[in-house]
Amino acid sequence: MLEFIIISTLNGVTYGLLLFMVSAGLTLIFGMMGVLNFAHASFYMLGAYIAYSITRTIDFWIGLLVAPLLVGLLGMLVERYLLRRVHRYGHAHELLLTFGLAFIFEELIKLFYGDFPVNYSMPAYLRFPAFSLFGADYPFYRLFIGLVAIGMFVLLYILLSRTRVGLVVRAAERLPSMAEALGHNVPLVFMGVFGVGAALAGLGGAVAGAFFPTNPNMALELGVIVFVVVVVGGLGSIEGSLVASLMIGVFSSFAVGLNWSLARLLDLVGLGDWARELGGLMTLTLSSISGTVPFLLMLIVLLVRPAGLFGERN
Amino acid sequence: MRAMTTLAVAAAVLSLGAAEVKAESLKIGIIESLSGAQTSTGRLFASAAQYVIDQINADDGFNGSPIEVVEYDNAGGTTGAADRFRQAVAEGVHIVVQGASSAIAGQITEDVRRHNIRNPGDEVLFMNMGAEALELTGEKCHFYHFRFTTTAPMRVNALVSAMSEEGDLGSRVYSINQNYSWGRDMEEAIRAAAEAGGYEVVDSDLHEVNRIQDFSPFVAKIRASEVDTVMTGNWSNDLLLLMKAAGDAGLDVRFGTTFLDQVGNIANAGETAVGHYIAHLVNLELEDEAWVQDYEQVTGHVPVYIEPQTVNAMLLLREALSDLDFGGEDIDVTQIGLALEKATLEGPNGTLSIRQEDHQIVTPVVVSRIDEGAKYAVDETQWGFVPVKVVSAEEAMYPVQDSCQMDRPD
Amino acid sequence: MARVWQLLLFVLIMAVLIGLPPLLGAGLQNAMTNMLIAALFAMAFNLLMGQGGMLSFGHAAFYGVGAFAVMHLMTAIDRGGLSFPTPLLPLAGAAAGLLVGLVTGWFATLRSGVYFALVTLALAEMLHSLAPHWEGLFGGEAGISSMRMPWGGFIFGQVIEIYYLTLIWVTLSIGLLYAYTRTPFGRLTLALRDNEERVRFMGYDAHATKMIVFAVSATFAGIAGGLLAVSNEQANYELFGTHVSAQVVLHTFVGGSTVFFGPAIGAAIFTLFAYLVSDVSRSWLLYQGVIFVLVMLYAPLGIGGVVMLHLRHWASIPWQRMVGPYAGATAATLLMAIGTVMVVEFLEALFSPHYVAQRRQAETSWPAFERFGASWEPFGILTWGPPLLLLIVGLLILLRLRHRIVALWDEVQETAETAARSGA
Repeated sequence: MLEFIIISTLNGVTYGLLLFMVSAGLTLIFGMMGVLNFAHASFYMLGAYIAYSITRTIDFWIGLLVAPLLVGLLGMLVERYLLRRVHRYGHAHELLLTFGLAFIFEELIKLFYGDFPVNYSMPAYLRFPAFSLFGADYPFYRLFIGLVAIGMFVLLYILLSRTRVGLVVRAAERLPSMAEALGHNVPLVFMGVFGVGAALAGLGGAVAGAFFPTNPNMALELGVIVFVVVVVGGLGSIEGSLVASLMIGVFSSFAVGLNWSLARLLDLVGLGDWARELGGLMTLTLSSISGTVPFLLMLIVLLVRPAGLFGERN
Repeated sequence: MRAMTTLAVAAAVLSLGAAEVKAESLKIGIIESLSGAQTSTGRLFASAAQYVIDQINADDGFNGSPIEVVEYDNAGGTTGAADRFRQAVAEGVHIVVQGASSAIAGQITEDVRRHNIRNPGDEVLFMNMGAEALELTGEKCHFYHFRFTTTAPMRVNALVSAMSEEGDLGSRVYSINQNYSWGRDMEEAIRAAAEAGGYEVVDSDLHEVNRIQDFSPFVAKIRASEVDTVMTGNWSNDLLLLMKAAGDAGLDVRFGTTFLDQVGNIANAGETAVGHYIAHLVNLELEDEAWVQDYEQVTGHVPVYIEPQTVNAMLLLREALSDLDFGGEDIDVTQIGLALEKATLEGPNGTLSIRQEDHQIVTPVVVSRIDEGAKYAVDETQWGFVPVKVVSAEEAMYPVQDSCQMDRPD
Repeated sequence: MARVWQLLLFVLIMAVLIGLPPLLGAGLQNAMTNMLIAALFAMAFNLLMGQGGMLSFGHAAFYGVGAFAVMHLMTAIDRGGLSFPTPLLPLAGAAAGLLVGLVTGWFATLRSGVYFALVTLALAEMLHSLAPHWEGLFGGEAGISSMRMPWGGFIFGQVIEIYYLTLIWVTLSIGLLYAYTRTPFGRLTLALRDNEERVRFMGYDAHATKMIVFAVSATFAGIAGGLLAVSNEQANYELFGTHVSAQVVLHTFVGGSTVFFGPAIGAAIFTLFAYLVSDVSRSWLLYQGVIFVLVMLYAPLGIGGVVMLHLRHWASIPWQRMVGPYAGATAATLLMAIGTVMVVEFLEALFSPHYVAQRRQAETSWPAFERFGASWEPFGILTWGPPLLLLIVGLLILLRLRHRIVALWDEVQETAETAARSGA
């Protein structure tokens, strides 16, 4: 049992950190600009595919470096030439535009790379166990993903709370005209934030794509769960994203081993058999609905505390 | 109300008129996932079917004219399939071909059944190339549905037989499958074969289909149960992620799989896939080299994944058609169905035929191991499928399900 | 005058909808049935979005619930235990939509804006992930399948019968939706969108009002889902999927959410587009996405909004001077569309596995490829020249004409403003 708990926690934490890598950029963009970017997971996918192309032609590490830069550049272009155009129609319109872009990115990937997963993997010398626990190897690359995520968190945290950059960005969001009057170029700040957010997703894709499969559905698969993370953590809070990612990661990891159901719960009061006769919801096990729970969590947070765990009330 | 009656009558008259000018060429409609998540597989079914049809047409075609093929994109969903089926029928399709998903096959076979009840004399036939859910030849079986692939018991029995002969099965088995008709069939088959294979199913999992990003929690569970072999019917991402997670954790078990030959899997899983087993319908190494080369000549690649079985199915159709002659008149789909029941095909591993009671193909199953030194390496790697054992049709077949009550046309 | 025109237009559209289908094949009849269903779904969605100002990203929930309710009723009839008129099956969808709409609406309308959108998204995703496991209610991953029974002399076996049944239901429903906007409560909905504070100040319970609007929208979405179930005789969990919720958003905004009939126009156009293009080109989803983004960028009010703008200013538009630039712009758009399609299709051909295999076999490293019934050189000027030329010429024309059209519209706006001022 102890073995299961420790290994599941470790696995849950790395999966959670991966979720954090992808959602950090989204949190940043939403918190700073108020744009709910539906194309965010697409940036993650683009990062993986670009890194794959570079790995194949040049080198893995260069891919890891260049892919986020290219994706960030693309993000800046999207902000400058598309989002800014529709800014005056309101946030709903921006959301719809990014939603359309997500569509286009996915189809473009299919156009150029086909529908099969591509063979993007880490170089062989990175494929070794970092340590062994209860006879189970813990792959080094998992550790690497976790380290990149933690690095990302520390950097963002310092940038936003300890430097002037964070101050300016927040001023640009809260009081754009005031920030402008103080000599800050607000549009440039927004473009920069969007670019950095996209680049973070791109880095996430480049790092994680080498471990998880890189295919045209990867944006769709992570797309909605990333929203869950951002909402539960609190729209705009980096710390919140980290905690929420870890929560969901650890939960998904543990849910697998638990065949709890409502009927078993009712066994405690002697109603178990009655519940089993009812069937339906009563007999669904936790492990079979582990995909549903994050959405339930998101719903509860939205209804009870819409600012999320760490967000400020607005 | 009266207006509607008039219109309905008008429509009935018009549709009667349309029926009379029916073209006499045989029309095959391929209703596949040509966009959406399962596109890669959908395309393969289409190209393999086309390969044989092109051959038939190069000879004489059928009924005095070439066979026509129309592709319909079901967009990967049952709603799209229902929609495209109606369009296909409207365009005069006689035979529907599909295979990439059991859910979609379930939809199409029901659509075909309803259509045939409503339009006697104007039937449609469904050639199921790859959907393996047992209910399709069970509760949902009907005369106009033919399945040209295996089912869970066939694959599991073959795996168990071959792996225990090789001494790679062990006595403790873990079953992990996707939580839907096919996955549940697999789990049941794995439990059912326990006695014959001399193993114990230590634990089993049914998980969500194509939603899980990280399989390491399952791997942790598998390790804790100390098994020798993991059997799974998982396909696509669910298989890849499972095997990669197992490989990365250094889990020392054998995998018995069913869809490891999906394109890109071996390349993606890399060394992790080596040494594991797969039960499939055809191993190219055992096939006649001439047709494999011809296939490569025509399509640009050697037949992969579900392509060989689709080719075999179409060859059986060709066989059935060769016995029929409508003299350029209207095509009677029921006759094609009856002829298909009698058609046989000699393969390198034995004879292929159709079981009359439930229209399940009777086919040998090949068990192969992923290893170096295969004749056809796959995915541009050094690995391929090395044949281990051919399980004969007699041994692999399972009894007709009681739930299948087929109304025969004669 | 405008009334007469509207009435005439209505009669004309109805005449086409009633008279045309018998002349078409069953394939197109089926496509038209789908257009009608999509139109009703989008109109129901827009009651919430356009009238109530609430952007829902989970409307598939009610669409799907309606479809499943109808399937359960249809199964009960088919098994012989129940006698129920087949044409009234969608009522089950309406009832289910209303019920689920009331319950979820109470929760969802506690929030507004982006948070409301996220609540609806979570609701639909929950259903989507739960449905395949809940065998009894949603029939597992394969879903529920049944058969329509003959009733009252109708067999309901032909597509055309289903088409007319759908037409009656959709016309009736849209009529009710229109009537709704005319009631005092409908006006209250609009007021809610424009200024919630004020509605509250006037003594109305804003939450209850929003909840009712939500439930009404869900009811009609349920009818649309029910009609789909009647047509397909099948429902499965995919109906709850994100792409269903996404499609209705796409339809509504391309059609125009500020105009009553806008969503129906968008839904009809996209459904027809999907029907016509999906079998011809593998990249049709890409084209659909590009169209959506272009509409969002350059016609944020959608097609319906653009049409309304012209109708409103019909008299003051200087048509003699406008016709030229408009014709030019249309031609230029067409040129660019052709150029884009050529580039995309060429790329598709070049990156297809088929061509990659050809390259491996061919003697030369870059053999010619087939597309549009002709053979093209991968690096030929004749291959890439024409589409690029079309794109550049089209773009230049559009850029030139844009200023003229904008200038003309400024005039129109000015006249309208002066008129308004003198009127006041």
